[in-house]
Amino acid sequence: MNIEQTRRLSEKQFAIMFAALCGLLVVGGIVIHNLAVYGHAAFNLDNRGLFWGLPIIVYDYFLLTSTGLAMIAALAIVFNAEEFRPVLKRAVWLALAGLVGGVAVLMLELGHPLRALWAIPFSFAFSSPLYWKVMAVSFYVVSLLLLLWRLLTPGWTMPALRTHALITLVLAFAVTAIAGVVYGSQSFRPFWASGDIPVAFFFESLLGGLAFIYFFSYLGYAFNPALMPDNLRRLFDERMPALLSLAIFIHLLFVLARLTSGLYGNLEGLQVWQHLARSPLLYLELFVGLLLPLVLLMLPATRTRPWAQILASLLVMNALLIARFEYIIGGQLVPLFKGAWAPDLLHYAPSATEWLLLLVAIFLSNAVNAFGEMRLHLGQEA
Amino acid sequence: MAKWGMVIDLDTCTGCQACTTACTMENSRLPGESWQDVLFYHEGTYPNVKLMWFPRPCMHCENPSCVTVCPTKATYKDPEGGFVLMDYNRCIGCKYCQIACPYGVRFSMDERAFVKPDIRQVFPSGDGRQWNPPYQAPQDDPGRGIGIQPHGVVSKCTFCYHKVSQAPAGVADLDEDVPELKEYVPACVRVCPPKARFFGDLDQPQSTVNRLIADKRGVRLKDETGNKPQVYYLSGGATAAVPSLRSMAAATVPTGPFSPPQRAPDTGAIAAHSADWTADQA
Ligand code: SF4
Ligand code: SF4
Ligand code: SF4
Repeated sequence: MNIEQTRRLSEKQFAIMFAALCGLLVVGGIVIHNLAVYGHAAFNLDNRGLFWGLPIIVYDYFLLTSTGLAMIAALAIVFNAEEFRPVLKRAVWLALAGLVGGVAVLMLELGHPLRALWAIPFSFAFSSPLYWKVMAVSFYVVSLLLLLWRLLTPGWTMPALRTHALITLVLAFAVTAIAGVVYGSQSFRPFWASGDIPVAFFFESLLGGLAFIYFFSYLGYAFNPALMPDNLRRLFDERMPALLSLAIFIHLLFVLARLTSGLYGNLEGLQVWQHLARSPLLYLELFVGLLLPLVLLMLPATRTRPWAQILASLLVMNALLIARFEYIIGGQLVPLFKGAWAPDLLHYAPSATEWLLLLVAIFLSNAVNAFGEMRLHLGQEA
Repeated sequence: MAKWGMVIDLDTCTGCQACTTACTMENSRLPGESWQDVLFYHEGTYPNVKLMWFPRPCMHCENPSCVTVCPTKATYKDPEGGFVLMDYNRCIGCKYCQIACPYGVRFSMDERAFVKPDIRQVFPSGDGRQWNPPYQAPQDDPGRGIGIQPHGVVSKCTFCYHKVSQAPAGVADLDEDVPELKEYVPACVRVCPPKARFFGDLDQPQSTVNRLIADKRGVRLKDETGNKPQVYYLSGGATAAVPSLRSMAAATVPTGPFSPPQRAPDTGAIAAHSADWTADQA
């Protein structure tokens, strides 16, 4: 890339950041207004059984994407995979950007967000998965920031960063696994409860991380593959399609295994699977969100095509959001001891404010990411 | 040190909801915030259908999953009596305890109004609490979840801590028929017209609650969860029974591609009721 191209790219990144900030201002303003006027009644949640809705889905989605990105970057460093060098800085910065978006939404969802800042760390509530999740996230952020700082320091080498990357990897894995335990440990909610949820979350995170690396790298070059350095193109054409395909395949296995056993199971709570099997969302996720990208990435005719890679990553990103929605909502659809005035299965459609919170996370993360592309030159190797 | 427990005799309970009303009045609860409720459901399909009911307070579990999951220790087990209480000053409103309670007895009242008009708007509170009803009981202990809660926190039945904790030390049963003890009896127990509810110390072998549990084979709701409720149900099979979740549901299991063929249940009235509720929320 020559100086002129770099300048133009920088302008485009500024435009993205500006657009994202404008979007954030508008959407965030409406959300704050709605929350100020209606409080949490602006959410479509109620005491019949739906306690965690779209805001928690968005938070977990962004959090797990963040850990996926961090784990990929850390794994590459630990295993000295030099071919990943062109995406390392971007992956780590994106992990932070995603986390900012997710945590912002969480803060708007909690009843007392500021109290949470002291009440959780100083509670020493060792029995609570949420306590451990918050502690793990705190250490994870610190480790990620330090790793970024070292990646931005010229002359870094993978062997020199190995120990640090290993710590980041362990912390990212801990966050991911504990996020799985939060749901998987609820044994009386069979739709959620399973010992393999932390493992499923781990693979989902990796899948999300790979898809985000693809999509946001293209975005970093304003969707112009000609501007991409050779080593990045090589990575995207040789190693990444196989990795992303494998991640999709493993995720599909988890989804199909749970779906089949859920459909045949008779345990109270598993009837949610019957409900899901009748919803078009599940088929959208399976066929359009997962199988289509798998085909695109496996066919020799398409797997190295930028449009196919962008489309595949975009579809996977959406499929994961649907999967997170179905999982978190599905576990709450059977009302517990609410009597005849509650239906057999609850119905949940997010309110306008909840949808806007998704946009808050998207705009905020994109603004932070574009800032990084502009000021930290994420595409350039230090 | 007592371990307070409740026994509810389902054969005696008439489903009159006096307990629900008394709890709401005693503790100034909002509509829909049913710390105590009597759940109505039916079993079977027309013409072989039975209307059943089931009174349900918080179980004050010995091993409460709500306490296990709370990341701030805002909800806790009081060692001085086995109450499961809330500290409104520590709760962050994450609602994990609501997720983790198998009995659905925790409430977050920042949601939309359950019935119109929104009573919180009719009697607004000036000090950040949910509401300020004209008639309210004087007890107020935010550290134990007693009194009207502030916004952004979860609330639950206190086993009438403000009454029970004042009982003379060593008493085995809190019986509303004993004049000197009646002020210490939980409101829902005290008002029960057919005397279907009993309250006493589970740690004292001679207590009436223990005798009833032993003689009439008291059972705990969803014992497989490991929560070990301190509320026991007596059911001789004459009228109501301890229900499974599935029998509580308004309709039967949904039919899907993998479910066996079923007869459509007669749930018109109930379906209309929940549709009303949903429409009201919209
Ligand atoms: S019934 Fe629910 S809220 Fe009450 S102590 Fe048990 S787990 Fe906690
Ligand atoms: S809502 Fe409050 S009491 Fe419940 S788990 Fe969260 S902090 Fe604890
Ligand atoms: S024990 Fe007290 S707080 Fe609990 S349900 Fe009965 S009246 Fe309500």
